[in-house]
Amino acid sequence: MFSFLKRKNPTNDRKIQEINNQNQSHNRPPNLIESSLSKNLEVIKQKTGNSSDIVIRQLKIGHNSKLKIAILYVKGMVDNQSVNDSVIDSIMNNQNLSEKLIPQDVLEILTEDVVTLGGIKIVSDWEKLFTALLSGETITLIDGITKGVCASTQGGQRRSVQESTTEVSIRGSKEAFNESIETNTAMVRRIINNKDLWVESINIGKMTKTEVSIMYINGIAKNEIIEEVRKRLKGINIDGILESGYIEQLIEDQTNTTFPTIYHTERPDTVAGNLLEGKIAIFVNGTPFVLLVPALFIDFFQSAEDYYERFDIATAIRFLRTVIFFISLVGPAIYIAATTFHQEMIPTKLTIIIAAQRESVPFPAFIEALIMEITFEILREAGIRMPKAMGSTISIVGALVIGQAAIQAGIVSPAMVIVVSLTAIASFATPSYAVAISARLVRFIFMVSAATFGFYGIILVFILLTVHLCSLRSFGVPYMSPLAPFIREEAGDSIFRRPIWAYKKRPRLISGQNRVSQGEDQKPQPPRKRIMKNTTNMEKGERNES
Amino acid sequence: MNHKWLLLFLIMTSTVFISGCWSQKELNELAIISAMAIDKNEEGKYVKTIQLVNPGNVAGGLQGGGNGQSPAVTVYTAMGDSVLEAHFHATSKVSRRLYHGHANLIVISEELAREEGITDILDAFERDPEIRMTSRVVIAHHTKAGDLLKSLTAIDKIPAEKVNGTIQTTERARGESMEVTLQDVITTLTSAGKETVISGFSLIGDIQQGKKMENVQQSELDTTLESDGLAIFKEGKLVDWYQGEMSRGVVWILDKIQQTDVILDWKGQENTLTYNVVRQKTKVSADTTNDLPVITVNVRAEGDIREVRSQIDLTDPYEILDIEKEFEKEIKKQLENTVTRTQQNKSDIFGFGEVIHRSDPEKWKKMKSDWNDTYFPNLKVNVKVEAFIRRSGNRTNSYISDMKQ
Repeated sequence: MFSFLKRKNPTNDRKIQEINNQNQSHNRPPNLIESSLSKNLEVIKQKTGNSSDIVIRQLKIGHNSKLKIAILYVKGMVDNQSVNDSVIDSIMNNQNLSEKLIPQDVLEILTEDVVTLGGIKIVSDWEKLFTALLSGETITLIDGITKGVCASTQGGQRRSVQESTTEVSIRGSKEAFNESIETNTAMVRRIINNKDLWVESINIGKMTKTEVSIMYINGIAKNEIIEEVRKRLKGINIDGILESGYIEQLIEDQTNTTFPTIYHTERPDTVAGNLLEGKIAIFVNGTPFVLLVPALFIDFFQSAEDYYERFDIATAIRFLRTVIFFISLVGPAIYIAATTFHQEMIPTKLTIIIAAQRESVPFPAFIEALIMEITFEILREAGIRMPKAMGSTISIVGALVIGQAAIQAGIVSPAMVIVVSLTAIASFATPSYAVAISARLVRFIFMVSAATFGFYGIILVFILLTVHLCSLRSFGVPYMSPLAPFIREEAGDSIFRRPIWAYKKRPRLISGQNRVSQGEDQKPQPPRKRIMKNTTNMEKGERNES
Repeated sequence: MNHKWLLLFLIMTSTVFISGCWSQKELNELAIISAMAIDKNEEGKYVKTIQLVNPGNVAGGLQGGGNGQSPAVTVYTAMGDSVLEAHFHATSKVSRRLYHGHANLIVISEELAREEGITDILDAFERDPEIRMTSRVVIAHHTKAGDLLKSLTAIDKIPAEKVNGTIQTTERARGESMEVTLQDVITTLTSAGKETVISGFSLIGDIQQGKKMENVQQSELDTTLESDGLAIFKEGKLVDWYQGEMSRGVVWILDKIQQTDVILDWKGQENTLTYNVVRQKTKVSADTTNDLPVITVNVRAEGDIREVRSQIDLTDPYEILDIEKEFEKEIKKQLENTVTRTQQNKSDIFGFGEVIHRSDPEKWKKMKSDWNDTYFPNLKVNVKVEAFIRRSGNRTNSYISDMKQ
């Protein structure tokens, strides 16, 4: 359309050329490692810009110390002890190495005999060598050999496994994931001790080359969904992956929604539980948040603890969460609609009390609600970003502004403060922060429609919201299932939480072929009286009877 | 495609703004009406009295600065040739939009009800979408309807609440008045087999005194409002007032007694025993085999002895049976009195006509047109009462029995 502009702009052409050049360099066959050690080291120094954190340790071994080798690693990314003990020390003190002279033999001895580490691999092209070096492996280059030996010495300082801060539970494992992907996958493996727990890894990000692993239980997870996850992950072509949120946003089904269609958690037991249902976990190196797909709407209202409590209590809590979600969604909207359109719906005495409070308030209820909601959002945002030391200042100022001064100044009515505070608390009581944030956004839409059409407007938006939620899919699975489409046997684990012994089958839409999750007759029962009295007699008696 | 969606979106959002908060009304821009009263003045115009709540003076606490200083309600009156016109004239006196959503009480003056009847005035109330069909209707006894709304009350600061509350409590505790809603009045007005009964309410004391704040600033109110009998209507016009036992008889036959007390003379001593009915069931049935139908009123009452003022041996089961018999007689006598007086009034407030309609629709068709004047007064009504004494409170025999031994 604007091609005449393009022609006038010479930089565009240059850019295209540059891109072509880059592509060419990618397409060129990978540079192989040369045989001369000094040349190789020169290449490494040049390619890494002589970075100061790359350590190059040159050694001389063999008879008369004539064979030159070099050990390379990146400071801080390796476990110093294993580099010293298992690589450098072993090479220098090995008897065999001091005798042989032929480089080819040295390579063999090095890999088979000397380096006392589990992960050893031999690379012959620069690309792989750099990936290995920069991910914390120790490289040994031998003069005269066109290959490098990579020993897995990854280590260095990482945050230790700590208690979860975002998903706290009273009962259950206190462990949370940390930033290291190896630790994270290992934590899940410790829970699911089974050969069918499969892990696939790829590196994503042109620059960051972040390790991303997908984990699933072979035989339970649906193959189509696994294939879809693989396809979507492989399709990602982006500079960097800094957090699993990047992945989440790049692989979700529907972007035009405020509702999350991918679940994230930092609890290994949540991941394990979901894997057993047939879901697929996506681990991203550098973040404690693991993605779980496909995610259903009801997943966001469930916490791992639901399954640790007895079913009656868990069901009651889930009901409460449903109520909480509705309050956080339509709390202020109902107040606005009731006080500006449907005063006859409020009990007479309450009407008079609210009317008395509103007597001096200069704004319509909607504006009043908006002021309070926005004030609250400001406080919340400030509370999160503030340095911890300042937190108490915020809460004092906030309490004064919202609770006291605003009422005394007659800007807002006490009833409105109650409604907004209740809504605010409700929005924090939703187990998943992701869906709580969505509800917070939708709440404003509800408020506007309530201020315009009253309850009619609320119902209208509610219908739209339901339609929207039903239109969503998470990796092809209907978002609102098992409620819409209604699947009777699975609805028991939605708003309700049926007893553990009643979980006969895994979710139909998520898990594939193998759906039976437990044996028959799992319901515990008290022993029959006869058993209690005398076991041996009972056995005889029973036989006699039959 | 994109443009289409954008257009659709714009059209949809514009409805939000174009409609401009349709029928939106802020709570602090409303004059909440708590009660309405209809009188008729000498010129034959309707006088409408509206009682408005002053929210700040009712709800105590934070902002009620004028609490206790100024009255909880403000009353306005306006005149008009029709009820609605009077209402519109009232709007010129109030700064806010009159809001009927919480009006719980409609007072109609005795005079108006007696002379003109209530038939003509209720349409305006029924038609208005804001006015609740569950609003209570009350007839002002011995006073102007408007005055009933003007007097200030204690405890319940809003007089309308006081009136409603009193009627409700009296119905529950004694059964001498009855909650009648606008819906009930209109239903009975249109029904051929049942006439209207409405509770009465009266003003005791001087109305000028009652309007002042000082009235409620003393322990004994000079001017106060009282539940006062039942107004009996015939074809929309007030014909009689029933008080005390007579009005309880009406409530009893209508099966609305929840609790009441019956006093009995025993062996020559007056008012010796008080029987407290705690549970009762009244069934009205009709026998239409003969030309003139026979109505049977079956009362089954259960209750306790609550007061004994002589030496009666309540441990003796035969004595109890005798007492039960006496109570049955007493209740029967009272109910029969009520029925007789009502038959004299020629107004079937008990709904006997409806009972006959249900049991024999064919026969009812013939009787329907002159039911009240011909058939109802000559109806044979059998009252059957079964009374049971279940308990006798915390004691069996009274301490009086111990004293004289």
